[in-house]
Amino acid sequence: MIEVQGISKSYGGVQALSLCDLSVPEGSISGLIGPNGSGKTTLFNVITGYERAREGEVRFNGNAITGSAPDRVFDLGIGRTFQLTRVFGRLSVLENVLVATQRSEGWVRGLLRLAGSASERRRAMEMLDFVGLARLASDLAGTLSFGQRKLLELASLLVADPAVLLLDEPAGGVNPTLINQLAERIRELNKAGKTFLVVEHNMEFVMTLCDRVTVLSQGATLASGTPEEIRANPAVLDAYLGGDVAEEAAAQDARAKRSQISVGAAAAAPQPTAPAPILRVKGVSAGYGGGDILKDVTIDVAEGGITCIVGPNGAGKSTLLATITGLLRTRTGTIEFRGEQINGLAPGQILGRGVSLVPQIHSLFPAMTVRENVEMGAFSINDKALVARRLAAVQELFPIVVERAHEKAASLSGGQQRLVEFARCLMLDPSLIILDEPSMGLDPTTRGIVFDTVAHMNTTGRTILLVEQNARAGLRLSSHGVVLENGTVRLTGSGHEVLEHPEIGALYLGGAIEPVL
Amino acid sequence: MSATAGTDPAAAPGTEQGTVRSRSRLAVRLVVVVALAIGILFPLAENSDQGTMSIAFFALIFMASVTAWNIFSGYSGYLALGHAVFFGTGAYTIALTANDWHVPAGWSIMWLLPLCGLAAGVLAIPLGLVALRTRRHVFVVVTIAFFFIFQTLATNLSFTGGTGGLQLPFLDWNYDVYNERFYYVALVLVVLTVILSWVVRRSRFGLQLMAIRDDEDRARGMGVRTTRVKLAAFVLSAIPVGIAGGIWAYFLGSIYPQSAFDPLFDIALALMGFIGGIGTISGPLLGALVLESLQQKLTQTFSTDGLYLIIYGALFLAVLLLLPRGIVPSVAERVRSWRARRPGPSASAEPAAGTGVAGVAPQ
Repeated sequence: MIEVQGISKSYGGVQALSLCDLSVPEGSISGLIGPNGSGKTTLFNVITGYERAREGEVRFNGNAITGSAPDRVFDLGIGRTFQLTRVFGRLSVLENVLVATQRSEGWVRGLLRLAGSASERRRAMEMLDFVGLARLASDLAGTLSFGQRKLLELASLLVADPAVLLLDEPAGGVNPTLINQLAERIRELNKAGKTFLVVEHNMEFVMTLCDRVTVLSQGATLASGTPEEIRANPAVLDAYLGGDVAEEAAAQDARAKRSQISVGAAAAAPQPTAPAPILRVKGVSAGYGGGDILKDVTIDVAEGGITCIVGPNGAGKSTLLATITGLLRTRTGTIEFRGEQINGLAPGQILGRGVSLVPQIHSLFPAMTVRENVEMGAFSINDKALVARRLAAVQELFPIVVERAHEKAASLSGGQQRLVEFARCLMLDPSLIILDEPSMGLDPTTRGIVFDTVAHMNTTGRTILLVEQNARAGLRLSSHGVVLENGTVRLTGSGHEVLEHPEIGALYLGGAIEPVL
Repeated sequence: MSATAGTDPAAAPGTEQGTVRSRSRLAVRLVVVVALAIGILFPLAENSDQGTMSIAFFALIFMASVTAWNIFSGYSGYLALGHAVFFGTGAYTIALTANDWHVPAGWSIMWLLPLCGLAAGVLAIPLGLVALRTRRHVFVVVTIAFFFIFQTLATNLSFTGGTGGLQLPFLDWNYDVYNERFYYVALVLVVLTVILSWVVRRSRFGLQLMAIRDDEDRARGMGVRTTRVKLAAFVLSAIPVGIAGGIWAYFLGSIYPQSAFDPLFDIALALMGFIGGIGTISGPLLGALVLESLQQKLTQTFSTDGLYLIIYGALFLAVLLLLPRGIVPSVAERVRSWRARRPGPSASAEPAAGTGVAGVAPQ
């Protein structure tokens, strides 16, 4: 249905795509995988007309559409979502869905007709119901959580009934249960005749869902075939999947190390008492505008451990982190850090006490160099010698800070940017590091590196509070787990307990899952 | 007025949210009727004071202009700082046509006003085609550049009378009806412009404009013909400004390049829009009413020294500090969160939102 032949595209000196081929058969669910920076999103942009290729051809149902404008491509029946989800923030959720019902219509006619006829509204509500957002129809899209935005983006495409849907990381930052639902929805739509092309790093998602998988590496097509063929392909293993195995091993390694530590501690103190919590969240309620998103949340974060918060999208995880770091005020309850109340302090003051947040969305200054970005982390410190010492320590931990020191942050891949963000946050030598979905959007190899780094930062004496949608990997890494649902704490326990909890497992971790390889 | 007024999922009467919605809709209607009544009856109350009537006239001219400006800049998010081009075009159109066609002074000249709108609208097509190739900051600069080109043209072309400007046919209306008649003409323009703004806001076209405001690239990827939609909005927003320029020129009786193409006009539109709250219908009206009356009053009171400018500036800073998003959105937000909290902080608005929409959701 979509045929891509010999597409090449470069930005400045960087060759993003070189003679890339791709074929999406009608009625298929095709997967597109590859390491970060292999050109998957660029290929999407070329197909949908956002970017022009230097050479090559894109055909849709046999007709060349190379270089057509995005609105024309959409009219032909190709809809797409974006990797960093984009919604119309100041329109309501329903209005967001209505936008795509209005296609190809003269503006005079558009001016004389109400936005959304009764039947269009009904259809839009059906789509919202389909993705489970119907109850939020009149909320502003800007107030939705990250995962909800993904669903909204999907609903607002579906309403226009495109023949092909191009999904750019539909499962990134989405809860495992929701991922299963999403896969279910995609299968349903596929049965109803829709063709899919999916870019995704979640291997289980891709391998179980897709009929065909194409692997990109460094802008070129590395392999193409059924999931089984791809899994068995040594070249693919080398370029991409190898990390999955490594990740598994690393996590087990880290856990073994930790259990040794705790065994050692237990030997020293026969009556193991829980270490004093470094952070205590007591009965906190908070929210934006009208309602409370967090309702009476109580969590202790043990010093020296890794605490992982899991829960469905919209459970309030990011809101909790914003509340702890002072970006959002508590309405009731207190937050104590090392026994002192910190709620009510300005974000800068909380940072000054040693609580540092690495946010979900990439937050480097794109036009500054890697070195400058890292140094920005210490801009509040006036002691030059201290900054130099910290920088040296950080450079040792993160070789990338030295290797790519003078390159612009924007030129790094997603995983590399994550590492630089970690490096920047360490410049203040925080005792509590808060990570919001550190592995989102990373390929398996890079994800393994990021998780290793998290474990390493922990073993060098820092307490970590982690929000992770890759819940299994996150909990495996963690000493403590917290399940947050609908703004309340559903369960707490050791990482292992939460991971193995029968009910929680089924509800939030997407059921029992066999390792991919 | 509220952000979702046009598209709430068919507020169901009987549910809690439906009641709130229909009640606030009633309130909006009431405000519209009262405002219109005040607008119509105002000259009767102020019959004796011609100074106040002239202030009111200028306020209406700006209310229409800012409302029109908002149709483009407020809904699409593109900040245009060159609408004085259309204002001046309207002013010169009425002066030139009235003189060339020997239209007798009096009401008959008012029939030239649609022509002023037409001239501004037609002019907006090429200007828009050029300017809308750019975005954000560059767009702002391009519109400013257009403005200076037209001011220079008005000063240097032969048919515009150069720096000497143009005179309009002398209007021998009696002093005490003069202001009042112009007031009503301007009021009609305000009402028509507000209706246009309201229609755009509720329409499919308006939804596309607001989608462009929030994320133009994505809107394009969802089939919105962005260039066409932006250009149409630009033209629609130029027309009432042209007419306002025509009324204003006839009211004054003579026009000059510096006054018809006035950079302060551009800035005033943006300031009034921002203070009232851009992207809303009532915001531009409120902003123009408050700022223009205040400025005229201050000018009348402290005409010789620049004191009024200082007071004007201080007020502007105060509003920006206290209500950074503009009066109407800030107040609406406060009302919303006050309403949400009223039942008690623990029983938040969450259940209300749920039931309200569930009531209309398809099975």
